[in-house]
Amino acid sequence: MRYRDYVIYRLILAVFVIFGVITVVFFISRMIPSDPAALWVGAHPTPEAIEKARKELHLDEPLLNQYLYYISSLLNGDLGVSIRTHNPVVDDIKSAFTATLELILFAELLALIVGIPLGVYSAVKKDSWVDNFSRIFAISGVSLPTFWFGIILQLAFFKYLQLLPLAGRVDSVILLEHPLEIITGLYLVDSLITGNIPVFVNALHHIILPALTLAMYPVGLITRQVRSMMVEVLQENYIKTAFAYGLPSRKIYFKYALKNAIAPALITVGLSVAYTLTGAFLTEIIFNWPGLGRYAAYSILSMDYPAVLGVTIVAATTYVIVNLVVDLIQVYLDPRIKL
Amino acid sequence: MRKLLSVGFVIALILAIAISGCAGTNKTTEPSTPPSEGAKEETKKVESKPNVVIYGYVSEMTTLDPSTEFSNSIIILPNVYECLVKYTPEGLKPWLATSWESNEDGTEWIFHLRKGVKFHSGNELTAEDVKWSIERTVRMGLGASFIWDPVESIEVVDDYTIKFKLKYPANLPLIASSSYGAYIMDSKLLSKIGDDETIADYLNKGHDAGSGPYTIEKYEPKTEVVLKKFDEYWGGWSDDQFDIAIIKIVPDASLREQMVASGEIHIARDLPLDDIPKLQQDPNVVVKQKSSYQELYAMLNTRKPPLDNKLVRQALSYAVPYEDIVKYVLHDYGKAAKGPIPPGMLGYFEDLKTYTYDPEKAKELLEQAGYPNGGFKLVLTYTNGDEAEAKVAEILKAEWGKLGIDVEIRPMNWEQQWALAKSDPMKAQDVFIFYWWPTYPTPYDFLFSMFHSEDEINFNLAYYSNPEFDELIDKAVALEGTNIEKAKDLYRKAEEILMEDAPAIFLYSPDDVYVIHKSVKGFEANPGYPQVVFFYDLRAT
Repeated sequence: MRYRDYVIYRLILAVFVIFGVITVVFFISRMIPSDPAALWVGAHPTPEAIEKARKELHLDEPLLNQYLYYISSLLNGDLGVSIRTHNPVVDDIKSAFTATLELILFAELLALIVGIPLGVYSAVKKDSWVDNFSRIFAISGVSLPTFWFGIILQLAFFKYLQLLPLAGRVDSVILLEHPLEIITGLYLVDSLITGNIPVFVNALHHIILPALTLAMYPVGLITRQVRSMMVEVLQENYIKTAFAYGLPSRKIYFKYALKNAIAPALITVGLSVAYTLTGAFLTEIIFNWPGLGRYAAYSILSMDYPAVLGVTIVAATTYVIVNLVVDLIQVYLDPRIKL
Repeated sequence: MRKLLSVGFVIALILAIAISGCAGTNKTTEPSTPPSEGAKEETKKVESKPNVVIYGYVSEMTTLDPSTEFSNSIIILPNVYECLVKYTPEGLKPWLATSWESNEDGTEWIFHLRKGVKFHSGNELTAEDVKWSIERTVRMGLGASFIWDPVESIEVVDDYTIKFKLKYPANLPLIASSSYGAYIMDSKLLSKIGDDETIADYLNKGHDAGSGPYTIEKYEPKTEVVLKKFDEYWGGWSDDQFDIAIIKIVPDASLREQMVASGEIHIARDLPLDDIPKLQQDPNVVVKQKSSYQELYAMLNTRKPPLDNKLVRQALSYAVPYEDIVKYVLHDYGKAAKGPIPPGMLGYFEDLKTYTYDPEKAKELLEQAGYPNGGFKLVLTYTNGDEAEAKVAEILKAEWGKLGIDVEIRPMNWEQQWALAKSDPMKAQDVFIFYWWPTYPTPYDFLFSMFHSEDEINFNLAYYSNPEFDELIDKAVALEGTNIEKAKDLYRKAEEILMEDAPAIFLYSPDDVYVIHKSVKGFEANPGYPQVVFFYDLRAT
């Protein structure tokens, strides 16, 4: 199979997977006994108001019609209207998604900055105390529950050290005094390109704790992956030769060895992005981060199924795309895999 | 040495984070407040210009159209819009109307409007706006528009006088004070926008058309709503009032608690009741507690045996440890119910003969009813996830178990159990635990919604029907506006019938508990506008 054909084949598969997820989630959410019409109307609705809402939401039609109706509006980019907030779900998700994206990107960046050097150094100093420390660090990162770590960080940095804010994305008051022009929806990026330094500094402070919380898992993963690949590469003859020639060791580790060790680590990073999306659900609740996770959690709690469906579609699509990209890169780098 | 560079890099990164953290907070830290409080950052902001107050609220905002909104955005509306009349537990107060009067039988009401009231657009408020607003609400027929059911026609007498003709007598000023569906909008601004739907879209995007002390500056229903003071507000402004009021959505209760204790937000409610005593010791906050107009009921299925037997229902009512429930479930932040109406409201009678915990009496009654050792099973449902209701359910199961009654507890989501109750009384749950609170504070809203005979079941979840009771409350509500003493008499008689028939167990009325940061004063909860903070009444300390 040629590379291009393989890409097309995988894309078609991805579409089927996403379509399957939508179908399953749609029918499951409609099977849960609940009355969205009553939820739509509010506190003490009259029977007439509920009946009116039922018509408006197409709930009086057969399930199959509702499904077809949903799919056809989905193809037009319409995810329906939230039962709880009466907002188009697309709008809700758009703003929530950029918040989550910013958090995840920042967390992954932290994970790379910390994980790669730590992995390299552990491999170089194999079985030293540094290696042991990094092992404990990595294993705790992978195994400790996110919410626990988040709360500990809040206690330490907010309550006792008073260095970083407790929750939220940016201070409302700062945002009022220095209005931020939204371009990408990522506050750090937007404030930087518009030169809005107070908002940038404030947003940076807000993102550190949730991003650290979220980064714990990928840090552990990357550290271990880089370390094991580095240990392997360092055994290679060309490394030994490089040492024999008396090349500077930093150059050997970071230029020659890491280059060969990094590819599998990057795959791990890719896959951990998908995992981080799940981790974001809890982190966002603890830090009141107005992202997709918080939106999903409260939508589920209030049986707001258009919102739940919308989030599921976005999450599933992201997951599938990330996996697809990772696979395609892998195949590109190592043609043996596509057999 | 070079090998250490990577470690050096990591350390440098951690340091950079720490330093950037220090640098950021130093900027706003002032020596005026003791360093031990996390509050310093926020307190400083409150002291500097602009004055800001932040209310941490539990749920996302819903819609913003005063004609149709019937949910959480109530906490915005009364700060941005105004009603003709303001409800307080002490009585009705002038708001947009300075005075009002009716004919003798209460079928015609005239309201005299305040002069010189400006909408946020600069337009002046006139009787035309009142007529337009209420007619639009009625026409749209959504939300709480049913409150205007008695109104037959609205007539503009002159710019500052408006006359309502009613189909039947009603307490129109009380209706006009409703927390939902009674706000007056700027008709000159809105009527230019388009039809009712277009106006709704316009408003729901975060525009406002009110005359209240604040205007909507920024509307992000999922994260925060920023309100800015309206300089030309008819009530005027003083220096210590807040220029900016922010409603911040913080759904997590423990986070809200930490935020109010540290001053990141200034007002919070719905905090875990177990933690309130701890907060009462905290010098940074003040805990405010006031009766709400909410009450918890256990509706008894009066159609299905054995609860179709009055004696059994009375027995169950006697076998409830009311005071213990208040203590254990509410941690004493509330009162055991005295009948169907919560304390402080019209129709609440401290001395109404109600049930008290008397297991012996309960046993006797069961014996009389022909169930000497219980021996029957009851299905009890409550709203899944509501901790207080869950505890109440457990207590009822234990107490009724002592009488030989087997209680099966089924936590369900609200719509689900409501649907079950509405389907077929013979198959529905036997006991249905749920809360009621009024759309506007009249006892009729409680007694009619839950106990008036219904052809099609909506909220009469005990399936109770008693023509004598129906007649009494229908008469009482007609007299509410003109002869309050007579109305009270009739309500009392109706409630006595209800206590005798025992279609429901009246459990408790929880208090509204607000935690206020010390930098803000002047807050008083108004049970007529549940969950609302009137930002205009607040002052900076």
